[in-house]
Amino acid sequence: MMLQQAGSVQLLCLTANSGVPLFTRGASKQLPFSIIGSLNGVHMFGAGQGVVLAGCETDRGGRMVWRVFQDSVMLIAVSSGGQAQQEGGGAGEEDLHLRRLLENVWNCMVLVLGQDELASLRNVERLKRDLRSCYRLIDQLLEGGQGQEGIMGDLTHCADCLLPPNATLLQEGLDGFTQAADSEFGCLMVHGRIAAATEKWWRLAPQEVVLLSVLTRSLSLSGSASCDTPVFLPQGSPTVAHRLLRFQLLPGVDVCVLCGPSPTLHRAERELVGCFWSPLLEALRGSLAVGERCLPGSVTLRPDVLALLLINRESRRSVSCVKAIITNPNHPPSNHPLPSKARCWELLRLFYTFTTTRYFPLEETPALTLGEKAQRGDSLREDFALGFSHQPLQCYLVTEECKCFSLQTAQHQLYLLTPLSVPTFALSSVATQTLSAITLATGF
Amino acid sequence: WLVVYRRTHDFQPSSLPSPYGSCSDETRYDFQPSSLPSPDLEPEWLDDVQKNGELFYLELSEGEEAAALAQVATNYGLSTNHVRFSEKEAEIISDESRKLPDGAPTKAEPKLKRLARILRRKRRPSQSRGPDGGGEDSSSRPVSILKNQAGQRVGVMVQQLKEVFLYLNPKRLGSCSPPPPERGGLLEALLGVVHRPSWGRGQGDPAGRREERITVHGLVPNSPAVKCAQILIGDNLVAVDDVDVTTENIERVLSCIPGPTQVKLTLETASPGGPGEGGVDMSSAPRLRPSPSVSQLVRLLWGEDTVELQMSIGHIPHIVMYLSLKLDSDSPLEEQEILYQYPVSEASSQLKGVRGIFLTLSDMLENVTGGQIVSSSLLLNKQLVHVGYWKESNNLLVIALPAERYRHGKVIQCMLPYSIPCLSQSHIAFCQADHAPRLDHFFCLFFQQLIQPSRLSDSSGSTPTDLSGTLFLDGLPAVRWLPLPPEIKVWGWATTLGHEDFYGMRRLYVTLGSCLFYKGYLIANHLPKEDLLDVSLYCQHYCLLPLASEQRVGQLVVWREVFPRHRSQIHQTKTINNHCTMPGYCQPQGRYFLLIVGLRHFMQCVLLEASGCAAPATGAPGPDCVYVDQVKATLLQLEELDLGMEERLAAPPAPCLSCADWFLPSFVRDRLFLPPSLDQGGGKVVGRSLFGRGARRPSSKRSQSDSGSEGQSDGGVRRPTGLSPHSTPDSARKLVGQRDSLGSGGSDGSRGSGSIFKVGLTSGAENTLFHYVLMEKVQGIFIAPTHRELAQLSGSIHPQLIRNFHHCCLSIRAAFQRSLPQGTHGLGPVKEHGVLFQCKPENWTDQRKPAPTMTYWVIGRMLLEPVPQEFYVCFHDSVAEVPVEMAFRLSFGLAL
Repeated sequence: MMLQQAGSVQLLCLTANSGVPLFTRGASKQLPFSIIGSLNGVHMFGAGQGVVLAGCETDRGGRMVWRVFQDSVMLIAVSSGGQAQQEGGGAGEEDLHLRRLLENVWNCMVLVLGQDELASLRNVERLKRDLRSCYRLIDQLLEGGQGQEGIMGDLTHCADCLLPPNATLLQEGLDGFTQAADSEFGCLMVHGRIAAATEKWWRLAPQEVVLLSVLTRSLSLSGSASCDTPVFLPQGSPTVAHRLLRFQLLPGVDVCVLCGPSPTLHRAERELVGCFWSPLLEALRGSLAVGERCLPGSVTLRPDVLALLLINRESRRSVSCVKAIITNPNHPPSNHPLPSKARCWELLRLFYTFTTTRYFPLEETPALTLGEKAQRGDSLREDFALGFSHQPLQCYLVTEECKCFSLQTAQHQLYLLTPLSVPTFALSSVATQTLSAITLATGF
Repeated sequence: WLVVYRRTHDFQPSSLPSPYGSCSDETRYDFQPSSLPSPDLEPEWLDDVQKNGELFYLELSEGEEAAALAQVATNYGLSTNHVRFSEKEAEIISDESRKLPDGAPTKAEPKLKRLARILRRKRRPSQSRGPDGGGEDSSSRPVSILKNQAGQRVGVMVQQLKEVFLYLNPKRLGSCSPPPPERGGLLEALLGVVHRPSWGRGQGDPAGRREERITVHGLVPNSPAVKCAQILIGDNLVAVDDVDVTTENIERVLSCIPGPTQVKLTLETASPGGPGEGGVDMSSAPRLRPSPSVSQLVRLLWGEDTVELQMSIGHIPHIVMYLSLKLDSDSPLEEQEILYQYPVSEASSQLKGVRGIFLTLSDMLENVTGGQIVSSSLLLNKQLVHVGYWKESNNLLVIALPAERYRHGKVIQCMLPYSIPCLSQSHIAFCQADHAPRLDHFFCLFFQQLIQPSRLSDSSGSTPTDLSGTLFLDGLPAVRWLPLPPEIKVWGWATTLGHEDFYGMRRLYVTLGSCLFYKGYLIANHLPKEDLLDVSLYCQHYCLLPLASEQRVGQLVVWREVFPRHRSQIHQTKTINNHCTMPGYCQPQGRYFLLIVGLRHFMQCVLLEASGCAAPATGAPGPDCVYVDQVKATLLQLEELDLGMEERLAAPPAPCLSCADWFLPSFVRDRLFLPPSLDQGGGKVVGRSLFGRGARRPSSKRSQSDSGSEGQSDGGVRRPTGLSPHSTPDSARKLVGQRDSLGSGGSDGSRGSGSIFKVGLTSGAENTLFHYVLMEKVQGIFIAPTHRELAQLSGSIHPQLIRNFHHCCLSIRAAFQRSLPQGTHGLGPVKEHGVLFQCKPENWTDQRKPAPTMTYWVIGRMLLEPVPQEFYVCFHDSVAEVPVEMAFRLSFGLAL
């Protein structure tokens, strides 16, 4: 066993034709070259025989997924699993996670390097060097939710949002700022989540929005006050680079604009940022104070909601939050201690995957052939969801740690975690109340 | 074999404990290894016993035989398994045998068969021997005994002649002496043609009867003659199979029909209805149109037709391969690592071509992730194919299936390691060349069931397309159990087995236990759970249970050596231990044999052990008549239960069920005749009376108010829902109000009486339970509403709902299975999982109103205490939750 850590994921990137390893990320201990070679070889052998190997799994939940992008780059994800799988239980779930990961990584590489360079593979050594600039992003994706808590976009492909208390004010400020920067694409990020964005920004492909958020987060983590990065939009313009201008307004608050050759970073920073954002400083502070709750104070959540994820299916946005757990000193610690915050995030991710693979398939870009879908790993879960002759509306799970509930309406999907003490039959009403409380207060 | 029936029947009921103890000398058996049954009693399945001792003998019952005959006739000589038909339903047999006087016929008959075999050519069976004397060999049919007279017909052919083909089965008459001529003789009994001799001849004086033409004076209901609809009253029967007949010789001619066969009748008709050629076509058409699905399965079981079936799925990529991991690189042979493969088709050869992938993956993944590979997926011609792996010492079993069957494949995959040992120990099975045909047959069945179950399953089934249902129910590690009312006692039926240790001989086998099925439901079991599951896997694989449930089985005898999983495991550990402690000594390995005997609806599976305290088995012992007969005797004795069982099946479902269609407002249209008292606030009363009687009739109150309750459940998201156009808005509103008020006090139905759980699972004024499955893991049984109960709840949406329920159960059960406690990863153990579904009637044409909707829950719960159980229920959304809890706790009030 070469992957020591349970649950760790290792990512291998090779050139599809020659099998030259481009990079490996993930596990602390790299797989030996021979193994990498045969992992690639197996896939290549199949391709020669008209068989495309997609993935495999082991009895311990270990899993391996192959995918070739643009006939040039092969990505292999290997997860060691950590959990016993009995009688071939829940397939698709881990699969979905890994397939999303590969897709995100590829998009990441396109975002940074552009499709041309990746597809042509003129100079492998140079490509290897260039790909190093993606490492930080890729590592962030590999960490999934564990790196930065509460970011679900990589999994849901819905932009993580933060609902500020003074949304209109910030929206107006952003619109003005974006216009002044000769652009239509602008976005305000608070705590790594989108607090406001221009209409055009929302029209980008959901994955692009998610990736740009990931990029902005990683840029802001670097600590610089502003930066100017070329980006290729994986779907919008995979071959022509745009400029992503990012300015830190406050620690934790960033604004970014996607623009053409002008304005220069310098000019924008000097002339525009101060002029547009200093009047809104209070509003920005207010939204910063929302913190990781992501919801304005006007929304009161029921005390028995541990964590929630709300997705707007139309606009592909999501809000998620985990409540800080307040241990009530009056109550003796019960038999079932509440899960920790990090565990709650993990559970939320797992429950989301569980539910979407089975009951609430998210509509992806519709015009995909069956084969492509299979490549993307979608067909499996869609297949299962299609098997239902009636429409699933709600579902719940009772585990040893908590109760999970999700419901789907025409516009929303809501995922909730509650303590075990909440009676099962009350879950449905807790969820509907929570949903209406949020939507009424914020119009999300 | 009728003989066997009667004999055993005669001995019961007085002396069942040892039916052979009181036998007369002739019927005593020797208990010697490989002893042949006593010569006067040769069971009909004896010829079918294979060289290795195995037997799969299946007779159809009467209804199916005619249909299957046409195909069978063509394949007759080719099949390895002999095909025969039961002469009649056992019920009638027993009736007749009761009527029979003890003694003479019983003793005379056994010799008959033998005699018939010996004298087949030499001697025309006399009438007194009855028509079943001739054996089944159709080649011996004495069609032309009177052929020399055929020329006479020319002169008779004045009027129009028509030819009618009839399927006749002389065995249907039983073996009593043929009906006397005064009562119409064989003509009436066999053919169904009534001919009254003309007046003037003395009726009581058959000897004086003179030759006379046979005019059809009447037809016997349900006889072949009526069924073919070609024989008209007034026709003259001219010839049978080109043998001219008159009143003089008809009885003799008919008596020469040895067994079930098709005969050609030539009739002279006055009516211009059927000119010769046309008549033939018309008559043969229905005969040649057997329900193909029926025969398909049976033919597949008989081992016929596999090529055609396999051809039909040849384009679908699927393969099973048994690969050796030990590669001898020196060997120049191509494909030497393939120990076994099936099938050979274009799509499968492509999969065979990439076996290198499978071998590499299985080897590599263990190194990389530390786990054994279970499955992989690949794209073949844009089709997603999933591959399951099963590694066993140095060999690898690979099964590939299209992805849409994968889910199913997953279920099967876990069954596979178990079902193959059932076939034989797998590494032996795959490596021996002479097993190949059997393996081919096994996997042919396997793939057919997976890929085109619709072709195999019978079309008449209530839910022919419920794939998930079969998958879910078959996938449960349990057998479908039918709870019986206490007055039906099947216990003790098997105690007689295994105690035949008399005559001072060492007995051949020790009975480890047996289980009894009735119409596919398990009704009694003396097997340990593991064995029971093994046996049921075998039955499942050969579709024996559905066969039995539809009364297709005239007689079924299966005998084969089996390798029960847990027993061989125990044995392995034993030998290993022994090996360590005492080299040179090896525990004698027990051998196990499975005997399945089916008669009509009953099927009994007996697991026998050879060696141990019984005599060691040598070679490949075939089925022993004593054991088969004993089981048969038991089954015959159980026939008395038939009535009670039928009553049980016909009884209203114990937790009573509702039909989903009753909950949709559109249904009200058909149900407006319901009590008018509803309008006067009588809903409660009506509800309770319905409830109390366990009637599964909807209260219209419920159906109309559903939209209301649904809005309520959705909290703030209230949406307008269409009411039935027939119900005035006024009354509807009122009813909704009533329902709401009831909702609060909804539990008042549960007050006090403990009998509630006998009638209704859900308390409250109405029964909202749609379906349930309860699995008890310790005993390995599950309970679900019977097929008949489902059939009673017809409706358009309900079957859909059941399908959906089963599909959801698959998902729920997967969730239970997946999350077993191992570290902190994953969601952790799931104890309960529920999904709320919404359904709309199909083809809702009303544009103005949105379609009415109905919501229902499918909930599964896993309990570890007091006994490990899994419940799956499906009920309407409106049910008060507390009663649901209670229902769970009381396990539906079903005492197991």
